[in-house]
Amino acid sequence: MAIKSKRYEEARLEASTNLELYWWVFMRISGVVLVFLLIGHMWMNAILIDLNQIDYNYVAKRLSQTTWKVYDWLILALALLHGGNGLRYVLDDWVRHPVRRFWTKVVVYSLIAFLFFLGSLSLFNHDFGVK
Amino acid sequence: MYRGREGQWAFYLHRISGLGILVFLMLHVANIASAMWGPEVSNALMKFYHQPVFQIGLLLLIAGVLYHGFNGLRIILMDFTAWGVRYQRQLWYGVWVLFVIFYLPFLLKIGGGILGGGHGD
Ligand code: HEM
Ligand code: HEM
Repeated sequence: MAIKSKRYEEARLEASTNLELYWWVFMRISGVVLVFLLIGHMWMNAILIDLNQIDYNYVAKRLSQTTWKVYDWLILALALLHGGNGLRYVLDDWVRHPVRRFWTKVVVYSLIAFLFFLGSLSLFNHDFGVK
Repeated sequence: MYRGREGQWAFYLHRISGLGILVFLMLHVANIASAMWGPEVSNALMKFYHQPVFQIGLLLLIAGVLYHGFNGLRIILMDFTAWGVRYQRQLWYGVWVLFVIFYLPFLLKIGGGILGGGHGD
């Protein structure tokens, strides 16, 4: 079960398994990193430029620069893991029927895995040909 | 766990915003990654998402990210510091102060764009 504690010491006592405690810690570490990455990302793409200018050329240019590949991949990986695990907490809470819960998770995790794969390909396996 | 009047609100807003961001992220990655299939596919999708309805949606999303992020920091401070829980009310106000400071630029820039026209080519 997801941990509900408000303090690290309590969370340690409440954790049903070590894995559950690691997730609890991961949610917090990834959260702190994501605040900075996401505010930076939204600032660059919506304040520094007019977002109506975002098109193929803009994306191809950005995705040809190593800095933004790595930056975007960090967002991709951390946000999918953080959001996916957060969704698991919510499903454990909302979907009580065991069979239905199982199949919901199968669908959701597959979708997340697919998007991680797709996003990673666009960042590291495609040459946009912009010098 | 979550206590008091603000607590319940904070919890539901945190949950809804978290789920909303996840849905956005999935559409967003599909949209950006479509550039692998070339300008025709990619620009068609971009043009679709440049419609005013989606820009209003984007303003909601940005609000969600800022709220979820700053409230997340509040939760983390309460978890790992000795004083966090004692000052939870003050921290809650702090969340909203940061929210307003960071949201205003986005609201003005994107809101201005919607009102000023010039979207969707
Ligand atoms: C901006 C930085 C972020 C911070 C500081 C942050 C922080 C947190 C924290 C502290 C929790 C509570 C974890 C727990 O109960 O153990 C949480 C839950 C959650 N987060 Fe985030 N998060 C951030 C970004 C995101 C993003 C990008 C997504 C979506 C992709 C997301 C989706 C969720 C979901 C679905 C939950 C579960 C909510 C619930 O259990 O009610 N978060 N977040
Ligand atoms: C103001 C809102 C946003 C705008 C205008 C925007 C725009 C963009 C653009 C133009 C790119 C292309 C590459 C780059 O410029 O770095 C991109 C990539 C990306 N964005 Fe965003 N973004 C926004 C919010 C978000 C949020 C909230 C998240 C996370 C929850 C996110 C996650 C990503 C990811 C993971 C990629 C890489 C996609 C891939 O792997 O192909 N973005 N975004």
